[in-house]
Amino acid sequence: MSTRDIVLVALFAAIIVVLGLLPPITLGFIPVPITAQSLGVMLAGCILGARRGAAAVLLVLLLGAIGLPVFSGGRGGLAVFAGPTAGYLVGFAPGAYVCGLIAERLVKEDQAELSQFLSFLAASVVGGIAVVYLFGIPWLAYMSGKAFFGTAAASLVFLPGDLIKAFVAMLAGRAVLAGYPLLPQRA
Amino acid sequence: MLNALDIEGDSPLHRMPVRGKLVLLFSAAVGLFVVSDLRLLVPALALSAWLLLSTGIGTGQAFRRTRFVLFTVLLVAAANYVFVSPHEAAVVFCRLAALVLLAAAVTATTGISAFMDEIARLLTPLERYGFVRAADVSLAVGLVIRFVPEILSRYRDIAEAHRARGLPVRPLTTLVPLIILTLKDADTIAMAIDARGFRRH
Repeated sequence: MSTRDIVLVALFAAIIVVLGLLPPITLGFIPVPITAQSLGVMLAGCILGARRGAAAVLLVLLLGAIGLPVFSGGRGGLAVFAGPTAGYLVGFAPGAYVCGLIAERLVKEDQAELSQFLSFLAASVVGGIAVVYLFGIPWLAYMSGKAFFGTAAASLVFLPGDLIKAFVAMLAGRAVLAGYPLLPQRA
Repeated sequence: MLNALDIEGDSPLHRMPVRGKLVLLFSAAVGLFVVSDLRLLVPALALSAWLLLSTGIGTGQAFRRTRFVLFTVLLVAAANYVFVSPHEAAVVFCRLAALVLLAAAVTATTGISAFMDEIARLLTPLERYGFVRAADVSLAVGLVIRFVPEILSRYRDIAEAHRARGLPVRPLTTLVPLIILTLKDADTIAMAIDARGFRRH
């Protein structure tokens, strides 16, 4: 990676940290408050691409592990990684990678607007939701012992919020691509 | 702004080397998942709580730091109570809570620079094969700590500009300018780093 790539990764990691500091939004029809941090994961992939996006997320996880309060709501430290929902955090890194991989393959600068939107949406849903859940739900199920089915099913309450985030990531990813394209020049 | 979570002190955990603490935490995690006897898990939970409090963190601060994770542990225990049995709920609660408190104790007694030194050492084998350079990781960590306050104040400026124009502060209309403005700085920052010769090859 060039110096510029390292700086881009660090700046995006800082953006993900800031997104976690913003107050969570509560929508009437969804039972759980929505935090913007996992939106940052989708955006990292959609804007920086696979390698730099995953590096930005890994950097945030590293900062959290060494004891800085970088996760949503000012949480941090190894205790977060010892909790039952740590799988979602760990899944953020491969999530951003897959999201970036799909965005890099599907999105072209000379495409029609609609196909760009759909490509970003596919990248956010597959990378930012499916891959993250693929790590989060089995981890949670393992940690909950014999009640694995109940807790795994209950974690699906976050799905509507995550779909909204994928939609926002789609709009923001395409807007950043139009304003300051970084995705085409892969690291 | 981004204050580290370690506490000044001179307890046995403070004096232990970082690698020793991480190995201890990892073995404790494996051990706690192997054992499912309450006669061992309850003392393990008490020991973790005692270790966390022995770092001089104070009960209030210890609770504030772990309450969210403990809440998710409680939810998981409640699921076990409903779907399996009260005994299983107690087992799961003691196991996970002990692990969380022990992890919090490691975090409370290890400074950022000690952790970074250990990570640089752990990265050396990767560095040999050209995957990642430890110096680059330290540089990136420093950059994040430096830029979080700046990006937060930039977010406030953008929200303020929305209010001044009578626009509602929506996630999308604040996020896009925030990202573009921030990433546009990358070129100047990278030039400044290279001009100072921080990354010699």
